[in-house]
Amino acid sequence: MPSQGDSRGGKIVKELNILIVGVGGQGVILMSEVLGNAAVRDGIRVRGSEVLGMAVRGGSVSSTIRMGDDVYGPLIPAGKADILVAMEPSEALRNIGFMTKSGLVILNARAVVPFTVSLGMSNYPGLEKIVEKLKKSASRVVVLDAIKLAEEAGSVQSANIVMVGALFGTGLLPIKVSTIRETIRERFPAKAAQVNDVAFHLGFEAYSAL
Amino acid sequence: MKLSVSSDAPGQKMFMLGNEAIARGAIEAGVQVAAAYPGTPSTEILETLSSVAKDFGIYTEWSVNEKLAFEVAFAASLCGVRAMASMKHVGVNVAHDPLMTASYIGARGGMVLVSADDPWAWSSQNEQDNRYIAEQGYLPVLEPSSVQEAKDMMADAFRLSEEFKQPFILRTVTRINHGRSDVLLGEISRDRRKGFFEKEPSRLVLTPAEARKDRPLMLERFDKIKKAVDSFPYNSLELADGARLGIIACGLSYSYTLEALKWLGLDGKVSVLKIGTPHPLPEELVKKLLGSVAVVLVVEELEPFVEHHVKAIAAESGIDVKFHGKDLIPLIGELSTEKVTRAIAKLTNTTPPVDFAEMERIRQETAPLLPLRPPTLCAGCPHRATQYAMKIAGKRVAKQLGKGEPVYTGDIGCYTLSYLPPIESMDLVLCMGAGFGTANGLAHVLDVPVIAQVGDSTFFHAGIPAMINAVYNKAKITMVVLDNSATAMTGFQPHPGTGRTASGDVAAQLKIEDIARACGVKFVEVIDPFDMEESIKIFEKAMRFDGPSVVVSRRPCAMLVQRDARKRGEELILYRVERERCDPKCSACFKLLGCPAIVRENGLTVIDSSLCTGCSLCAQVCHHKAIVEVAR
Ligand SMILES: Cc1ncc(C[n+]2csc(CCOP(=O)(O)OP(=O)(O)O)c2C)c(N)n1
Repeated sequence: MPSQGDSRGGKIVKELNILIVGVGGQGVILMSEVLGNAAVRDGIRVRGSEVLGMAVRGGSVSSTIRMGDDVYGPLIPAGKADILVAMEPSEALRNIGFMTKSGLVILNARAVVPFTVSLGMSNYPGLEKIVEKLKKSASRVVVLDAIKLAEEAGSVQSANIVMVGALFGTGLLPIKVSTIRETIRERFPAKAAQVNDVAFHLGFEAYSAL
Repeated sequence: MKLSVSSDAPGQKMFMLGNEAIARGAIEAGVQVAAAYPGTPSTEILETLSSVAKDFGIYTEWSVNEKLAFEVAFAASLCGVRAMASMKHVGVNVAHDPLMTASYIGARGGMVLVSADDPWAWSSQNEQDNRYIAEQGYLPVLEPSSVQEAKDMMADAFRLSEEFKQPFILRTVTRINHGRSDVLLGEISRDRRKGFFEKEPSRLVLTPAEARKDRPLMLERFDKIKKAVDSFPYNSLELADGARLGIIACGLSYSYTLEALKWLGLDGKVSVLKIGTPHPLPEELVKKLLGSVAVVLVVEELEPFVEHHVKAIAAESGIDVKFHGKDLIPLIGELSTEKVTRAIAKLTNTTPPVDFAEMERIRQETAPLLPLRPPTLCAGCPHRATQYAMKIAGKRVAKQLGKGEPVYTGDIGCYTLSYLPPIESMDLVLCMGAGFGTANGLAHVLDVPVIAQVGDSTFFHAGIPAMINAVYNKAKITMVVLDNSATAMTGFQPHPGTGRTASGDVAAQLKIEDIARACGVKFVEVIDPFDMEESIKIFEKAMRFDGPSVVVSRRPCAMLVQRDARKRGEELILYRVERERCDPKCSACFKLLGCPAIVRENGLTVIDSSLCTGCSLCAQVCHHKAIVEVAR
């Protein structure tokens, strides 16, 4: 195979496709940033991209992190997402068509109801209905209250890092826990770094305790 | 160690956004001048360069529009320094005029134009394949297949531009600009040249006589490039033994192709020609591939540019192969591994490992369950207030004058979002500046009030000539400038009205109302959109004024206000609903305003304090006086 302009020779890992979804302002992009940075530090080849549209204004956001030697495209093809991390339940459902049957969904339970529901232009499905649908397309669905854990850590803003902690709690990632924690600590100013470090820990423990 | 775009760390790998990688490539090449006008997906290139400009002695600017950005960079190139302009695809339309003549002159210092095309119009008003613009101007194009290659090509483009004395174009697509990957860093050049303008009027003053002499020189330069591209490292041919199918894949399509072939287990069974220079194409490599296979699939993003050129090469050299391209890869939507996989599977009679039809069925089944989540104006956005008041005034004035509903022309920016219910304040949106431009046309054929809107950044970009046109040609229109002190849509870049430059220096702060008066507008008023009653009154006056009128609606973007308050440790005064006075059946506040901070919970109207910024608009529309300040 000709090369794509990049050097190989990093750590060889099995292909792993992580899809992170949510709504504008929930810190989805930051999650993929810390994951990608940590992967590169551990010598892992990584690709990704963010799908934003005009997301800052309250729209849907998704971001991909893909690891492995046979990964070239920035986005995950339908049926190939191994792990779906959702900051918002209905956004998980919106992206269910990307999951592989043996996949895992990690879901933050708190809904962000769009204004179209208040205006009577659309409906928001209940959490139970969403989980039931997700279960048809993935082998495991785990629900967490990331907002509550983030508050415990010291700031609701750290809910995204709670979810990163949970993602590492699965034990499925080729990145070392020490690397991701260091990356997170370096990403924020001192005080926020500490809050996010706790948030990571709480998310990790919450998943491990399941 | 934590790396950044400015790290002097050749040989190390860093996780980068495509646009950061492009900026890094320019830094490695020793770029000295970089100019741009913001536009997704290109914006982060200049943002990144500006953030390190002072460390590297790079002059960066947010130009007033793309034509200027190109002219600034091109002039610098003529003085022998390395220069670049970056913009989104439609920005190149604005820069088209100087670009087409710059190609007659050629480059002195390396000159690179980054054209960020946006397939599927993720954040654009159209989709456009700018390789055609390059072709029209005999401008060579590099198209990267990955984020790494985007950096490498960008760095190389300056050198190539100097070698061949022609401006080069780096054509990207959104998935490159907003893609991320590990990137191997190269060495940073600290070479800084002193600008020197060598006078050469016979080449630089494009009168018809000189242009006629410049044209053959341009053709000669392009011919040299054409002969050289076969050996560029960005083009490569991998022939598979006895392969019946050959794929020609351009730019990022090459990555999709590699992944699709692996996925289908066809790795090494299909010949692949990677194209990094779609214009001009490496003809010898193309001929070699065409001569070795029976069937060819051309994979590329947006239009069949390479496909048509390859077909022409085949016709000229009498090669007979069966061609596929846009017949199997849709012209609609963003390209993906999935689409390329389907096309290859069809041509090779292979079964894809994923049942795509089943995935599509799941998607369609879940779609009706999903809440609609369109982008919307933020809570506290001053545009909502302006447009609400403007529409009330428009209705009243039309009625008083006994005329039909006003027509509202709009423009591009955050404020475009209120074309949706409940505000519905835009009937026509075309391109930047056209908010005022199209109103000029409507005024001469309609007998209803014509109200035109542009944002502040848009006003400076392309609104001023249209304002002058209205005065000069007596178009009786009301021109509204929504001045939120920012280019908000693209991420708060400064502009001539903000008093700051790209590198954060203090600059002259131009007042829109002064410009309007200088343009000869006789009715010019400035309003505070959060004073609703007064705003409606002034809008009515403006719409009744006999001649072109201007209303500048001034309030900083709510996101900036929140950010500043947080920085200063101040708390904003928020609003809440007084339960006893609120009529739960009324719901006028959110039905009229569509503010995302006003929500319905168990049949009651509630203000979400995590979203409210205290604009007071809902309190002003509530006729039960049930919305009040939160006591502190
Ligand atoms: C020619 C061109 N250049 C750039 C853009 C990208 N663009 C869309 S809206 C916008 C800025 C709008 O700013 P402003 O007019 O101040 O409105 P705001 O978003 O602040 O409401 C830009 C740069 C474009 N669509 N067309």
